[in-house]
Amino acid sequence: MKLAIYSLKKVLYEGEVASVNCKTAMGEITVLAHHRPLISVLMPGTVKVTDEAKQEHYFPVQSGFLEVNAMNQVKIIADEAQ
Amino acid sequence: MAESLQNLKLRQKGVHNINQITKAMELVAATKMRRSQEIALASRPYAFAALDLLSNLSRITHEELPPLLQKREVVPDAHGVGAGRTTYVVVTSDKGLAGSFNNALLRDFEKYATRERIDFRDPHNTFVAIGQKAAQFLEKKTGLQCEKFTPLEKSRPAAADVPRETQGRSLMGFVRVGDYVSVAQVAPIAHLLTSGFLEEKWDRVIVFSTNFRSALRQDVLVREILPVTFEKLKKTAEELIPETGRFAELVKTHRIPLFTSPKPGEGGFTESSKKIPEYLIEPAPREVLDELAAHLVLMEIYHLVLEANASEHAARRMAMKSASDNASELSAALSLEYNKSRQALITREIIEITAGADSLK
Repeated sequence: MKLAIYSLKKVLYEGEVASVNCKTAMGEITVLAHHRPLISVLMPGTVKVTDEAKQEHYFPVQSGFLEVNAMNQVKIIADEAQ
Repeated sequence: MAESLQNLKLRQKGVHNINQITKAMELVAATKMRRSQEIALASRPYAFAALDLLSNLSRITHEELPPLLQKREVVPDAHGVGAGRTTYVVVTSDKGLAGSFNNALLRDFEKYATRERIDFRDPHNTFVAIGQKAAQFLEKKTGLQCEKFTPLEKSRPAAADVPRETQGRSLMGFVRVGDYVSVAQVAPIAHLLTSGFLEEKWDRVIVFSTNFRSALRQDVLVREILPVTFEKLKKTAEELIPETGRFAELVKTHRIPLFTSPKPGEGGFTESSKKIPEYLIEPAPREVLDELAAHLVLMEIYHLVLEANASEHAARRMAMKSASDNASELSAALSLEYNKSRQALITREIIEITAGADSLK
């Protein structure tokens, strides 16, 4: 699935990933490919991205939004934690 | 009688020094301008993703809009003047030497004030200055002491950081915001404006700032940022791209797509808009919208301050360029005069010597 993480300062991540793990207002969730469309609010925490080569990337966020659409695309707009 | 040689030399030196200083300032301003623009442009993907999310959300939910997005009934006061409780935000630079940058903005603000019959002493009006120059101007106009506040880099917006309001009419200033403002620095400003709006201290927020159109052209723009509307946000995000210059071509490159309105039957967006009702929204549409609206206001103010900063540097660059051009011209004229009077001195001396030699014969 395609993932894009945007912050006001820069594009934090863009590319194909296997899974995204993040803390939302409803608890910690992991988004895998073909997740159902979802919009959620992120809580302070770390977004863990596992790319296709099993490499893990971490992005601390203060707040933000998660959007999963029907076309297997995930968009995260995040306020970076300082 | 021509000026003495020493005097000319002194003036020449002075002009030369000024030339060097203004040239250096010109170069510094040029780099800073480019950097400000880069920062502003880096936030475009975020802006469009956020707007996209907002448009998706507002199409699926039929809930009441969050208060930040609601337009309030603006009632004229007893005298039929004014436009309800309004906050005016004036964005200028902290320092001068930027040509007509600050003057143009303040003049436009004053014109607007006269046209709209804004009473600077009306307690319904709140004024927020961003930048020293705006603070000074508003202090003079309102006759109030400006409560100045410097947002620090890396500080999280704490309610205690935000200046408290004086009862009734008030004037607040955010100064020394500096170049390349960070999100953390504008957060207190956004917090102040949104909380005041939500607490119904004011019904709308109007911002006067400078829009960077190109390195040679900056316009004063009047924008109503609260209540938030989709069109206004979109416009600000689009205005981030200057009309000409290094970054103008970015519109065409695929990384920063221009916003396309998701109308049915218009390419890529169609499929997604059909599937939209399937969205699962956590925790609730209302809460997501509330949160998003606050983020959008922060983003908008961030953009405004960055644009104003880029404009400031552009204006300063132009001012310094003409100053150093003038200095070069003056320096050339002075050295010509210096050489002329030096030559005249030598000629006179030779004449005196030959005259002296002649008289000895």
